[in-house]
Amino acid sequence: MMNEKISGLLKFHLLALLVLSSFISFSQDISKDAAVIKAGEDLFNGNCKSCHRVKQKLVGPALAGVYDRAPSIDWIKGWVRNSAKVIASGDKYGVALYNEYNKSQMTAFTSYTDDQIMSILAYVKAEADKPDAPAPGTQVAGGNAGGQSGIPSQYLDVILGGMFLILVLMLVILALITTALKKYLNEKKELSEEDREVVNSPYTVGSVVRSPGFIFIVVFVVAAISFKTVIDGLYSIGIQQGYQPKQPIAFSHKLHAGAYEINCKYCHTGAMKGKQANIPSPNICMNCHSQIKQESPEIQKIYAAIGYDVKTASYTGKQKPIEWVRIHNLPDLAYFNHSQHVNVGGIECQTCHGPIEEMEVVKQYSLLTMGWCIDCHRKTNVNNEGNAYYDKLMQVHQASNGKNSKMKVEDIGGLECSKCHY
Amino acid sequence: MRLITNLFIGASVAGLLAGCKAGGDYQGLEYAPNMYHSVAYEPLSQITDKDAGTFTNALDNGRGEFYNSNQYNPYNMNMRLPVAHTVRRNAYGWTPYRGTNDSTGLRLANKLVNPFEASPAVLEQGKVLFETYCKHCHGAKGGGDGKVAQGVKIDGVDHSMYPGVANLRGDAYKNITEGHIFHVITYGKGLMGAHGSQVSEEDRWKIAKYVKELQKN
Repeated sequence: MMNEKISGLLKFHLLALLVLSSFISFSQDISKDAAVIKAGEDLFNGNCKSCHRVKQKLVGPALAGVYDRAPSIDWIKGWVRNSAKVIASGDKYGVALYNEYNKSQMTAFTSYTDDQIMSILAYVKAEADKPDAPAPGTQVAGGNAGGQSGIPSQYLDVILGGMFLILVLMLVILALITTALKKYLNEKKELSEEDREVVNSPYTVGSVVRSPGFIFIVVFVVAAISFKTVIDGLYSIGIQQGYQPKQPIAFSHKLHAGAYEINCKYCHTGAMKGKQANIPSPNICMNCHSQIKQESPEIQKIYAAIGYDVKTASYTGKQKPIEWVRIHNLPDLAYFNHSQHVNVGGIECQTCHGPIEEMEVVKQYSLLTMGWCIDCHRKTNVNNEGNAYYDKLMQVHQASNGKNSKMKVEDIGGLECSKCHY
Repeated sequence: MRLITNLFIGASVAGLLAGCKAGGDYQGLEYAPNMYHSVAYEPLSQITDKDAGTFTNALDNGRGEFYNSNQYNPYNMNMRLPVAHTVRRNAYGWTPYRGTNDSTGLRLANKLVNPFEASPAVLEQGKVLFETYCKHCHGAKGGGDGKVAQGVKIDGVDHSMYPGVANLRGDAYKNITEGHIFHVITYGKGLMGAHGSQVSEEDRWKIAKYVKELQKN
């Protein structure tokens, strides 16, 4: 009797324990099946990745361990489908989470089935259980070491200079040896007449240098080089091609426009709209740099200029302009309008500014002389397709210049003085 | 001997002239520089040094010919902010978007109607604008796979990727309205910055049209 009672109690306790343990260890329900994990990975990459990472806090929390820390798996399902509803119901955990992440609402994924949410959790768990990959910092360091392999250029210069010095020394030594040998041979009395002639050859260094032929060649070469330098020098007056000033902030076009493929006009918003392409205002930098590379000294200069406090993510109001150095200085006597060329003419920025996307520090690529402008105006066709404004003009143009003649910029006044000078 | 002297003089003149060429921080020699520098305020090439260009002075105001800055503005800047409370109107006569930058503003923006029809011309313009302002993060097809979102590598050095870029083709964004897109471009959302200063209102509406078109296929 007693034994039966005890065994009954034991059974009850065991059952209770079983039920309880199934509640506690609900994370065991998360599948480890590779197909489920793959499905979860696709869903995660398509929908969650923009705000969540598995092991890193982003817009939302890091998802590793969410299956253990959230009140229940069902709670997670409800939250994913409509977090606003959970918050509105006054759920303690949900409201705390909402407040912790600056009251930014998670997008509602109402269409997700239980299986889909479970597969995402399966992926998150699989990722979380993986051992940590090496930190990104070490990867960067490794990359740096790889980039610096080979002999640096300054060492090459030193090696070249050393070799040149050795050559000169060898020449001097050789000259000394020949004079010494000559002296010794002349002092010897038993030399034959022929040998004596060989030793005292009339073609010495001095006689060659004083010969009219040699002088003519040297004078000609020096005069030609000087003449070329004079002409080149004269043509470079008033032309700033190659001007590459140091800017107050080391902004790399090679990284931003080249590698990241950010369109020129994303920052230089004026190019399509007005005369100036404009120096981008720092708020455009802050579209990204309020979040990334905060520790960089160059980015700190932007923060200092606009009075941004990284720690509190707020503006102090203390502002100071960044004094960028203008590179392309068209003379005041000439007028140039960006929108006319970029928007209407459809010219690529690189046509005039060169391969900016490869420049670490920007330099003036083109001549920007009048001849350079005129040359392009003579060669470039006017794109009149789909523009009724040009229809009649085109008829008149082709009537006088032949049927297939294209209209150039010069034909619509591209060479008129007063177009650019007034 | 005279020949050599002449040659030497010629070579030195050539050497001197070679110094006229621009490069690095040196702008190069200017001919008749007082025709190069603007007398009027030049917005993007401010020169604050009062003695700049005194050697070519033609003005009798005691300042150098090249001096170009406005002493009445903060930091002697030539550019000024628009007068407070002035409002820009565009070619359509619209006044600026007044929706507020908060969750209420976003909720109200959901109901806004795009003033443009989905005509081929508008979609074509929207595509060009999307590729200018959005592609580097959101990707050419809106898949959230632009170069900025993925990170890049130059000369073996990793450069960081920008987190939190939305996959516009994902389920979460399938049902957003054009008004929502317009509002988010204007003020930003999550980790996306505000693009209202770069993209005009009509361009924002065209981009919204194009994004909905991208989501269809």
